[in-house]
Amino acid sequence: MMSFLLEIGQGLLALALAPGLVGFVRWIKARLQARRGAVPWQPYFELAKLFGKDVVISSNASWLFRAAPYIIFGSTLAVACLVPTIFAPLPGDGVGDLLAVVYLLLLGTFFLALAGLDPGTAFGGMGSSREMTIAAIAEPTIALAIFGLALGAGSTNLGRIVTNTLANPILALSPGYLLAFAALFIVTLAETGRLPVDNPSTHLELTMIHEAMILEYSGRYLALIEWAAGLKLLIFFSLLANLFVPQGLATTLTPTSLLMAGFIFIGKLAFLGVVTAVLETRVAKLRLFRVPELLSVSFVLALLSVISSFLLR
Amino acid sequence: MIDTLFIGMILAYGFGASAALVFGRGSIGRWLVAVGSVLGAGAGLAIGIAVIAAGTPVEASIPGLFSFAGGLLVRLDSLGAFFLILIGLGAIPTALYGASYSKTYEDGRGSLRQLGLMLNLFLFSMSLVVMAGNIFTFLFAWECMSLTSYFLVITEANEPETLGAGSWYLAMAHISLVFLTILFLLLSGGDWSASFNSLRSGAAVLSSPLRNVLFVLALIGFGLKAGIVPLHVWLPLAHPVAPSHVSALMSGVLIKMGIYGLLRVVLDLLGGGPAWWGGVVLGVGSVSAVLGVLYALMEHDLKRLLAFHSVENIGIILIGIGAGLIFRSYGLITLALLGFIGGLYHTLNHAVFKGLLFLGAGSVLHATHTRNVEKMGGLIKSMPWTAFFFLIGAAAISALPPLNGFVSEWLVFQALLGGFQIPKPEMAIIMPLAVGMLALTSGLAAACFVKAFGITFLAIPRSPEAEQAHESSWSMRLGMGMFAVLCVALGVLPFAVVPQLSRVMTGLGGLPASPAAFSFNLTLQSPAAFGQMSPPIIALGLVVILGLIPVGMRIFRINQKRRVSATWACGQISQTPRMEYTATAFAEPLRRVFAQLFRPTKELSIDFHPDSKYFVQSIEYRSEILPWFERFLYRPLLEMFHFSARQVRRLQSGSLHLYLLYTSLALVLLLVVARWIK
Amino acid sequence: MAPSLFSQLSTLGACLALLYGLLLLWRRNLGSYVDAFQGQSVVLAVLFGVVGYFGHDPELYFVATVFVALKVFLMPYYLRRMQDRFAVERERDPYLNVPASLILAGLLVILAYAVMRPVVTISSLPTRSGLPLALALVFIGLLVILTRKKAFTQVVGFLILENGITLLALLGTYGIPLIVELGVFLDALMGFLVMQIFIYQLHGTFESIDVDQLNQLRH
Repeated sequence: MMSFLLEIGQGLLALALAPGLVGFVRWIKARLQARRGAVPWQPYFELAKLFGKDVVISSNASWLFRAAPYIIFGSTLAVACLVPTIFAPLPGDGVGDLLAVVYLLLLGTFFLALAGLDPGTAFGGMGSSREMTIAAIAEPTIALAIFGLALGAGSTNLGRIVTNTLANPILALSPGYLLAFAALFIVTLAETGRLPVDNPSTHLELTMIHEAMILEYSGRYLALIEWAAGLKLLIFFSLLANLFVPQGLATTLTPTSLLMAGFIFIGKLAFLGVVTAVLETRVAKLRLFRVPELLSVSFVLALLSVISSFLLR
Repeated sequence: MIDTLFIGMILAYGFGASAALVFGRGSIGRWLVAVGSVLGAGAGLAIGIAVIAAGTPVEASIPGLFSFAGGLLVRLDSLGAFFLILIGLGAIPTALYGASYSKTYEDGRGSLRQLGLMLNLFLFSMSLVVMAGNIFTFLFAWECMSLTSYFLVITEANEPETLGAGSWYLAMAHISLVFLTILFLLLSGGDWSASFNSLRSGAAVLSSPLRNVLFVLALIGFGLKAGIVPLHVWLPLAHPVAPSHVSALMSGVLIKMGIYGLLRVVLDLLGGGPAWWGGVVLGVGSVSAVLGVLYALMEHDLKRLLAFHSVENIGIILIGIGAGLIFRSYGLITLALLGFIGGLYHTLNHAVFKGLLFLGAGSVLHATHTRNVEKMGGLIKSMPWTAFFFLIGAAAISALPPLNGFVSEWLVFQALLGGFQIPKPEMAIIMPLAVGMLALTSGLAAACFVKAFGITFLAIPRSPEAEQAHESSWSMRLGMGMFAVLCVALGVLPFAVVPQLSRVMTGLGGLPASPAAFSFNLTLQSPAAFGQMSPPIIALGLVVILGLIPVGMRIFRINQKRRVSATWACGQISQTPRMEYTATAFAEPLRRVFAQLFRPTKELSIDFHPDSKYFVQSIEYRSEILPWFERFLYRPLLEMFHFSARQVRRLQSGSLHLYLLYTSLALVLLLVVARWIK
Repeated sequence: MAPSLFSQLSTLGACLALLYGLLLLWRRNLGSYVDAFQGQSVVLAVLFGVVGYFGHDPELYFVATVFVALKVFLMPYYLRRMQDRFAVERERDPYLNVPASLILAGLLVILAYAVMRPVVTISSLPTRSGLPLALALVFIGLLVILTRKKAFTQVVGFLILENGITLLALLGTYGIPLIVELGVFLDALMGFLVMQIFIYQLHGTFESIDVDQLNQLRH
């Protein structure tokens, strides 16, 4: 019972940290661009503001438009409960493995794309089309990266990957793991809508992907979707951090170890956030038709990772 | 008890067939046909469940019938019983749907008598295929199945494309029959009356090259029916022109007969083979899956899109079966079982969600009288139930949890992930490639169904036909609803289904029975607990979270007001249907990414004003994707046939004397041959 | 069996060299090709040093120095001079598009592994796991030459191919004798200078370094 509550607690912790992560990345980017930038906790104020506003819906939209934010938020939160953030292995480890995580995230993307098509605007259609293209092309990379990881760690279940990697830390330096990490990092940029795939702060409709799909949303719906997007970024960062460098995760349930693990987790998130911010500042956004090239690079990296884990056993 | 059920099945189908003939047009006829089909399919379902529960095969024979070929022998084992259940689950909702759907044919567009008669005969012959116990029964039932389905396909014979599509279908079905005849001829060594039992024992002593030939024949013969690339061309032709409930049956059940045949011959009769058999099946499956979904993406005819998706899903099933065959040849029995179970589960799931999608497409066709997605839109408001069920089907086929597509793809993935245990690295390396291709197909399928559902049902109607759409009748909704419930049930309760599938595969090709190997309490798990997942808990978690979000929002006093207003669209003044995204535009990025695969042809003609070349009067742009098997395989083949036919036509001079000469020459030749060759 | 540090380092080096080679298939502007070649040469030079250290062969340090001088400084200098003249040209439309080339490269790596398997199983050298990657680098160099249109890219592809062969020799035999190595360097330098002249002539005749333009000579 206690462990079950802990699992929900991890998800809620991730939920609470997500806007902070988004704000932190934005703040670092601003500083790198010689601006002062908003404070790192600005997204919390934005969410509060959005929750206070009325919702205005297009007359063309249907019940799907109203239901989609809940489904997106719900599926992302469900994933957050399955991913190890401060404690592993989770008691609910047998509930969902990496494949389940990937497909639950696809559930959210599916409904977001449908919600983009519902109001019948060209922007929404364009955003949905581009988002589904990128999601479809990123799928083989994710699957192969999971394969590479699972081969090395002996399981597709997250908790077991963590325990196995903790047991032999040298695994983390094998070419299989490093290549899988690189591949997954590129996929993270693609799936969470970061440069060079999509610009999260653009206001030009023709350069939007994620923003274009949610153009018609307002009020609490928009708040739920933005929160879910931040949560998705945190989930991907947790996967990158805790599957490849699981040192620092609490393995016992004592309050001190949990607190330590919490701080280390925030540290890992901050590190990945800084890396992302630096990368986003350095590179320009890719044309949409160059994105498959980037994703092919990550696919080849994942393929190389699998080959090296496979054939060097 | 099974005997009574069997007699009941024959009677029910016979009743349905005769009701079609007697009552013809009119609602009584339609309903009696449906009742006959439902009862017959239900009897089949019950027989199947009984046989799987009992675990022992059931035999019955009528030696007097067709005694020159060994008599009519019925032998139902667990594998056949599973497919019988599949037929039943596919046919019952479809028949109910068809009762109202076929009302459109009352105005004479198609013969209701033929439809009802052939439907019942079709279902019965399919049941006979899976119950066949000797060569003759099997081939006889196979041919009946092809013929009856041909008549079903050409129901709407007045439409321009129907007869052409029907010819393609009939031709390919008969080519399949030829291959199967040769296969059984070689397998039985010329003994036409051999039963499957004797074939099985005889196959053990066949030489290895002969077994390889038999495998290739089986793959081509059954692959033609199943629809693997490049033998799939009849699928996107025949499925759209058939009445929608027939399309659902064909896509959901008929092509699975190919899978049944493949399993029966390759795994059961031949007892499995070397690893390259599995490798070929896996390769063919992967290629079919990827190409199927890529061509589906480019389609705007809703039913053609669904037909290409059937090709894709057959590919996924073959990936599972191929993996199973490979593992089996290396002695990795548990993994082999997992592969086969994944393939079988996907067979069942596909029948359910593809049936649902075709029925939904049928409702849309019924309401808007067009299959062209570009003319639809906004149907979610005029056809809410259909839209909801179609959405469930779309989510299921995109493998989204917690529905059934996700479970079977998870099982196939887990089987492929076990590939590292294969001792030979050259063979083992195709597993990750298959994983990549499987993941690509599921991503592309999700993209395709966002397009299909989004353009068809969402936003505003793009044409007057879409504006006038109305919801389908209650029996059509009932049919779709039954499938939707099955989608959810098969997705949330796999731990109940997987052990049964395990029993289905018992004893086939050396597979032992280990019913509890893949499920544990409420979870599914792969061997050595490599992967573990619990769909019911995920579903429960999702439902609870979705329920708690509004509650949480009320607790935190979040603003609940909602206003409806004009679409913002960045400050546009008005919104017309012309401003919506089209299906072509939606698929454009993917078309560009895979352009070297599609090789679309482009034609651009610009008309300039006669006085000045700086003013454009009109621009015509035409782009077409012709699948290259059609361009490089079928067109040359057809050219060859036409050429040889033209040569043969020279013999037909029209002169009566010449024909008489031919006949007399043939007679003389025969006499000479009979006299001098003893 | 835990791989030794030497083995890990050599595999990691070979992997990095391969990744630099992949850069030629991904990027479109000519400057990045020179960067990739330079980076790869640096990795190779370091690998020479590593093999020299663990293999107790001081000759290899000398080879590494010559390598650096030639391939990290001299050749990239000339390449950049060429690139400054033709900077406007980019690999816009190769014969095989970028995702397809990358996927083909992945398959070629698998082929390299399959081909090298007998060698890897028999060999007892600690550097044997890097051998398939070196062969894959050779394949990728060949792929670049075959599918890219600009003569500049083909030259860099040839240089990558040459690097791959050097890597193969290094990992497979701990470097070839010094005299042979110097001969190979001279050969490569000569070939490179000839290609330079060729490219300048090509540009002079057609105002472009697109090798397809040579088709015009037919008419």
